[in-house]
Amino acid sequence: MSDISSKGLREGLTSCLCCHQLIILPLRGSCRCPRCSARVYGRIDGSLILTWALTITGSLLLLPANILPIMTVVYLGAGEPSTIISGVMQLYNTGMWGIALIVFVASIAVPVMKLLGLTLLLVQIQLRISFDPLQVMKIYRVVSGIGRWSLLDLFMISILVSLVDMGFISQVAAGPGATAFASVVVVTMLAARTFDPRLIWDAYDGDLYNTAVVPETAHRSAAENG
Amino acid sequence: MEQGRQEAVINWQRACHECDLLLTGGLAPPGQKLICPRCRCTLHRNGNHSIYYTIALSLTGLLLFIPSATLPLLDFSLFSFGAESTLINGVYSLFKAGFIWLAALVLFCSVLAPLGKFALLLFICWGSAWRTLDRPVSHAVRFYQHIKEWGMLDVYMLGVLVALIKLRDLGKMEVEPGLYCFGAMMLLANLSSLSFDQSAIWHRLAQRRMFKGQDL
Repeated sequence: MSDISSKGLREGLTSCLCCHQLIILPLRGSCRCPRCSARVYGRIDGSLILTWALTITGSLLLLPANILPIMTVVYLGAGEPSTIISGVMQLYNTGMWGIALIVFVASIAVPVMKLLGLTLLLVQIQLRISFDPLQVMKIYRVVSGIGRWSLLDLFMISILVSLVDMGFISQVAAGPGATAFASVVVVTMLAARTFDPRLIWDAYDGDLYNTAVVPETAHRSAAENG
Repeated sequence: MEQGRQEAVINWQRACHECDLLLTGGLAPPGQKLICPRCRCTLHRNGNHSIYYTIALSLTGLLLFIPSATLPLLDFSLFSFGAESTLINGVYSLFKAGFIWLAALVLFCSVLAPLGKFALLLFICWGSAWRTLDRPVSHAVRFYQHIKEWGMLDVYMLGVLVALIKLRDLGKMEVEPGLYCFGAMMLLANLSSLSFDQSAIWHRLAQRRMFKGQDL
């Protein structure tokens, strides 16, 4: 597991994150992939700082998303605004615990777990705590895979708003919490995107991208691959 | 091709994009997938006839987009009032109520990105047959990689189902034919992105470049 003789960073090679073409590691700054012309960095530029920033933004936005009402259901003139949590509780109290569970997982558990997971990844890398990289990769994959499902609540709101629009009798209106919640989802999705999982392995192997030296052989090897 | 010059240098073919491990084998054999030995991420999935399947699936998806965007998905009636929900309808209601950012996000994730995915896949797979389209095709692959995760038809479908159950005790809720088209389109969106194998496209482009070199 710790055989790291053939790491891209040490051989002066890297792969284009977009088309997976093997190219020579750009030591300073970036270059364009010759095949798909995406920008290629040895590691995503400022990955940790950006992920930190987006994670903190997401955690801050989580507060208004949960405190402010996400929608208001008016029925026969009476209605009160409901937040994410009260919506789940309402579903649970009316006996629809299956739906309540789905909404709870999508709009409360997923964003919170995602932010916690990202923080855990960042802390482990920055403090160089000893960890099992496979375990950490699992966290990373879960974090980047589940994010999109939190938009469930917003889609549901947009459907309800268009369906239940009968003036005084019944009406559903979106609330400011929905905007905050949408921002949380987008920000955390971007955070998972800017996080470079290769940094996990760098921390594990004890490599630093900034101090990498390109061996002479790398250029020949890469040249042969085109 | 260049076997004479490889005494000292190992011919690396691929670096794992998740753990940076260098590998000498770049592609999986047909019908199998290549998994990184160190971090276990899937590096390449080599499906059979990837290009043709993707053309068929994305073309069908594009055609199905017409009925699922125009026909109503759900019909809700309360007393004598009734309302229908289409894909665009919800976005428009949000926009009218002043939630522009929300409306834009819903529009992008449920209409524009899936539509763009289908169109790009069709263009990539079809366009890779012509030499003059080499450049646009390689740009299209890049765009596709960017918008790939923003197409959320499956999440939208779940949202529809949750709304369906939630409103059931408020009024009368009916499923309209548009929802079936939408469900089929969701399935096609997942299948087409699963069957799409970008290295088949790169292989096609590279092969043509090589043949062109021999002709000259």
